[in-house]
Amino acid sequence: MIKHLKILEFAISSLWRRKFKNLGIIFVFSLIIFVLSSILLLTYSFKKEAIAVLEGAPELIVQRISAGRHALMPVEYMKKVEKIPGVGAVIPRLWGYYYDISTGGNYTVMAEYSGLKDLVNIMEGGFTGEKGTCIIGKGISDARFAGIGSIIPIIGADGKVRKLKTAGIFTDESRIITNDLIIVTPDDFRDIFNLPDNMVTDIVVQVYNPTEVDNVARKIKKILPDTRPITKNEILRTYDTLFDWRSGMVLTMFLGAILAFIILAWDKATGLSAEERHEIGILKAIGWETSDVMELKFWEGLVISSLSFLTGLIGGYVHIFFFGASVFSPALKGWSVIFPEFHLMPYINPYQIVVLLFMTVIPYMAATIVPSWKAAITDPDVVMRG
Amino acid sequence: MILHPGILALLGGSLIVVVMLLYSSYLGIRILRRWDINSSSEEQLSLERRTYLLSTMMSFVLAFEVLSIFLFIYTADDLHRQFVGAMCATGSLNANPAGWYVLYLGILIFFLSSLWIGINYIDQRTEGFPFVRFKYGFLLVITPVLIVKTYLQAKYFLGLNPNIITSCCGALFSGEGRGLSSSLSSLPIRPMQYIFFSVVGIFIIMALVSIKTKRTRLWYITGVMSLVVFIISIASIVSFISLYFYEIPTHHCPFDMLQGYYNYIGYPLYGSLFSGTVLAMLASTAEILKKKAPSNSNIERYQKKWTLVSVLFIIVFVSIVLYPMVFSTFTLEGY
Amino acid sequence: MEAIIRIEKASKCINRGRPNEIWPVKDVSLQILRGEVVVLKGPSGSGKTSLLSLIGCMSRPTEGRILIHGRDVAKLPERFLTDIRRRLFGFIFQQFNLIQGITVRENIMLPLYPTERSFRDMKDRAEELMESLGIIERQHFRVKGLSGGEQQRVAIARALINDPEVVLADEPTAHLDTKLSKDLIEILRKLKGEGKTIVIATHDPLVYEQDIIDRIIEMRDGRIR
Repeated sequence: MIKHLKILEFAISSLWRRKFKNLGIIFVFSLIIFVLSSILLLTYSFKKEAIAVLEGAPELIVQRISAGRHALMPVEYMKKVEKIPGVGAVIPRLWGYYYDISTGGNYTVMAEYSGLKDLVNIMEGGFTGEKGTCIIGKGISDARFAGIGSIIPIIGADGKVRKLKTAGIFTDESRIITNDLIIVTPDDFRDIFNLPDNMVTDIVVQVYNPTEVDNVARKIKKILPDTRPITKNEILRTYDTLFDWRSGMVLTMFLGAILAFIILAWDKATGLSAEERHEIGILKAIGWETSDVMELKFWEGLVISSLSFLTGLIGGYVHIFFFGASVFSPALKGWSVIFPEFHLMPYINPYQIVVLLFMTVIPYMAATIVPSWKAAITDPDVVMRG
Repeated sequence: MILHPGILALLGGSLIVVVMLLYSSYLGIRILRRWDINSSSEEQLSLERRTYLLSTMMSFVLAFEVLSIFLFIYTADDLHRQFVGAMCATGSLNANPAGWYVLYLGILIFFLSSLWIGINYIDQRTEGFPFVRFKYGFLLVITPVLIVKTYLQAKYFLGLNPNIITSCCGALFSGEGRGLSSSLSSLPIRPMQYIFFSVVGIFIIMALVSIKTKRTRLWYITGVMSLVVFIISIASIVSFISLYFYEIPTHHCPFDMLQGYYNYIGYPLYGSLFSGTVLAMLASTAEILKKKAPSNSNIERYQKKWTLVSVLFIIVFVSIVLYPMVFSTFTLEGY
Repeated sequence: MEAIIRIEKASKCINRGRPNEIWPVKDVSLQILRGEVVVLKGPSGSGKTSLLSLIGCMSRPTEGRILIHGRDVAKLPERFLTDIRRRLFGFIFQQFNLIQGITVRENIMLPLYPTERSFRDMKDRAEELMESLGIIERQHFRVKGLSGGEQQRVAIARALINDPEVVLADEPTAHLDTKLSKDLIEILRKLKGEGKTIVIATHDPLVYEQDIIDRIIEMRDGRIR
């Protein structure tokens, strides 16, 4: 036991003696781990937030399709859906988009319905459902400098302005979904958009048995051929694949960088300086065994990769969660349009760490095996021949 | 599907390991054909030096395989959302026939490569390297297993189709289903508990008696017992141990306990079980080697040490199993 | 007197079967007794160093037997040779072969790193040696800044850290002036007094004409004359 500790001690002292060369390696290695961990952390927290959002979403939504486009749905459809065995409640939803000229922003306007209860929990202020009041997202509140009690003017379909009083503002944490959201009462909604009473935007269908959702969806499609049932699982799957695919894509592009680094590691380990070679010769001569020298080299590699790993990982974490992925933002335009400002909740799990280890430390350690063996088999009497 | 980060990591790593093992096998064949401990030729010296390279590579392979078993389960777990009906790793493994085989082969490779490293450890510390041929012959057995595993793993991930409807642990590990896994979970709990504790008890006693008496036959029985302990323990984890961790009388999944939600209890649980089993197997393999070794070898010392550590691991394992059974308010009375 | 080392018809060949084949040691037989001080004398290239490395278990002979305490080690794998070397021999090299960047004390303790000896134990032994060789106040200095004589003493202390039965020295005076060479002889005399067996490869008359030398073995072209 003590033997291994002593060899580790000597390995650290050896690395320290050549600190500039080794710091160079650690710097490059950390940089690669920094980039990789940033990609992984970013995509994972996106995925996690998107999924968290969807987890609260309804199991099954039915929309009407007309000429290949989403169209308003007559309320009679609800009765037909209710009759399908296994279906619980059918809840109508009203929502749409509103372009605000003064701020140049596109808002999502939604009428309050019973399924929204989860969202109401994450706001400041209170919403009683009184006509003429609304809840707004943090983004709208910031753009309009609106606090609780402020008036939000909305131009309706008839060109007249409605003045809505802000009763609540969604909290910052829920920003990813509520940033541009306005919640109004159903009556106000119909008034603003001039929507007939017998039409709704789409319907939420509750199914008693979660395993029956796909079945019910199929039946709805059969009874109402001009509708499109969307199950939550389907959306989740799409998101999942999309995010995995995105991070996988970027990682693949980085494979080149990793490969280059491994070659560098190999080169560094094979291209031992004359001084290092001489030192290994001395060690062999004074009674170090081949496996002792290999252990020395193993410890050196482990110290280098652990230091780089920690530096890179912590750097990536700080970059993503405290600096809002600032290095990446130009490359992530696609995302930044959807999510106006990053404020990701810090999140990391052992899985991401293991994946990172597999992509960086393991190839590095593998690349150093052969060179350190070559160094270790130096003849013990080589220093005598000098 | 291949662009999932976990899959990339697993496939890439496996490729490195396969290349290493292929090279090791090539060297192994050369050593098998040319090895002559009584020769002072430069070739013999160079072969002897290559054995150091081989040992290091094998240690790397073992370390990688242990990590990759967990990474594989984790990745399967991470993928479960993409399959209809999957709720955890079990569902993803069911999505493709290769899934379970990859896991089984991974465990097999863990045992084989640990045994190899143990034999290598003895060999390198015994004068004259008496087990060189045995060792490299054995290596040639491990290589194809690893290649098959890597192939199946690639096939599993490439063949995953998100539209497949799979069944999850709820269905697989439920008493009503058919097949091995559901028969495991429908095993009556009381008798299973008796069997589990008696098997473990017998194993510990056998191991201690073997250390004391040093009888060849007892060592073999201990080795076989360790395998029985392993199998019974896995069955027990599915049958009743998991229930105490989840505190749900119907949740039999062997993977969920690796999650943070259950305080990662699965890691010490499986870690102690696997280590305990493999060390006992190693001690009993050493008994076979002892016959061929010169009389001044230290094999008996290693054997004793390994068996003791193995017993310690199994005791840790049983303690982890017992803890919730004794201290938790959850009981299985009436189920 | 009991023979610690017996060499029977040992030969060492390099690049066997190739055009540049050479035999640095050819058909050598000799015995080294306990407590003896033996000099291997001969011009450079006569095979002194190669023979010394065979005696010290640093390399294996191509032919012949090497018996240490009656046990043939000629065919032992490196792992076991190293083990014997660590227990039995201490080496003093021509170039001191010290690691420049680390301290005197670390250099002296270095042979004991891959053993189970505790740090405390190693330190005590190293301090004892530095005390007796008069370099104790230099213990935390880096080797780089030391004088030739001091480096020589560090190298000797390192050779003695494992309390060897046999001390092997390869051209120990090659890089020393007369005064330092004489100091070295005095150290060797003291070691002989402690009962150590010493084998020195040298062609320096200052060494082989000393009264402490029990026997001189002359070498030429890899053979004993």
